[in-house]
Amino acid sequence: MCGKDSKLQGVFGKKGELLISNIIFIVLNLVFLAILIVFIVKQGSGAIVLEQSYAKQIALLIDSAKPITEVRMDMKEGIEKAKNEIGEERIKNKEVVKITGNLVTVKITDKGGYSYNFFNDVDATAYPEIVNGEFTGFYIIKINNYR
Amino acid sequence: MDKKGAEKILAVYWFTILILVAGGIFAMVYTFYHYPYDVREMEANIMINNLADCLSKNGKIESYVIFQDGTFNEPFKIDFLNQCHFNFDNGERYERDQYYLQADFYKFEDLENPLASISGGNQNWIADCKLEKDEENYEKTAQCLERRFYSLGQNGNQYLIKILAIVGKTKENVK
Repeated sequence: MCGKDSKLQGVFGKKGELLISNIIFIVLNLVFLAILIVFIVKQGSGAIVLEQSYAKQIALLIDSAKPITEVRMDMKEGIEKAKNEIGEERIKNKEVVKITGNLVTVKITDKGGYSYNFFNDVDATAYPEIVNGEFTGFYIIKINNYR
Repeated sequence: MDKKGAEKILAVYWFTILILVAGGIFAMVYTFYHYPYDVREMEANIMINNLADCLSKNGKIESYVIFQDGTFNEPFKIDFLNQCHFNFDNGERYERDQYYLQADFYKFEDLENPLASISGGNQNWIADCKLEKDEENYEKTAQCLERRFYSLGQNGNQYLIKILAIVGKTKENVK
């Protein structure tokens, strides 16, 4: 009986208070750091950042390309996000990257979408690369001919 | 003060430091990712390259720019944007053109007065190029880039070609 009491005192008693406060302190620190890391990671791979980055990259690619060029662009991160946000069917319908006139629009989420102009007077098309019915994570940008 | 009291004060102090550091990191990351990527310098560079490719090939000025007798092709001045495949149409996104492109041709013997100049796009952007880097609102002005190269005419004359490219698009590239 006496031994059990001394054990309980270790957790709840005078001596134990120090241990509990230390654990709470460490847990709070870890929670704090975890929130910070999640925030940083989410900011860097957010849909808004990706849409802007892809739209501008594609516009610059088209600007610097000569007609009859095919560019294979790595968009794994964006396509993975789009699968969860808008679904595979809409990716297959070429809804992630749209080129209308001389405007590139990238849309990874339903809410978002980012557009950027290019100045090269070419006819360009974009579609996702699909092998055996699966997305490879690449997008094909085709620069067909001068308008 | 006893040991327990000192530890409590230390914990509050530690949390204050932690909040300050986290706040700093949060502010830095937020600011970094909420600034748009500024690609205008790259765009201006590509514009210059495309125009240079259109004006001169293999170090020789194209015959549709300067004729064999050394005279400049006047219709090219008006139509060079089309002939060199530039499309500055922004649709409904902007009220005015967001690009300006100018090329000045100098004879090698007279580098002060241009033999001919061609330009297209929105001339109002030129004023932005006169601002110094340390001036207020410099970041929010158009991006200007000038490059020059030498080329031979069809008759073997040497020419200096200066190309100025300006890209506005501040809405998408500057906060």
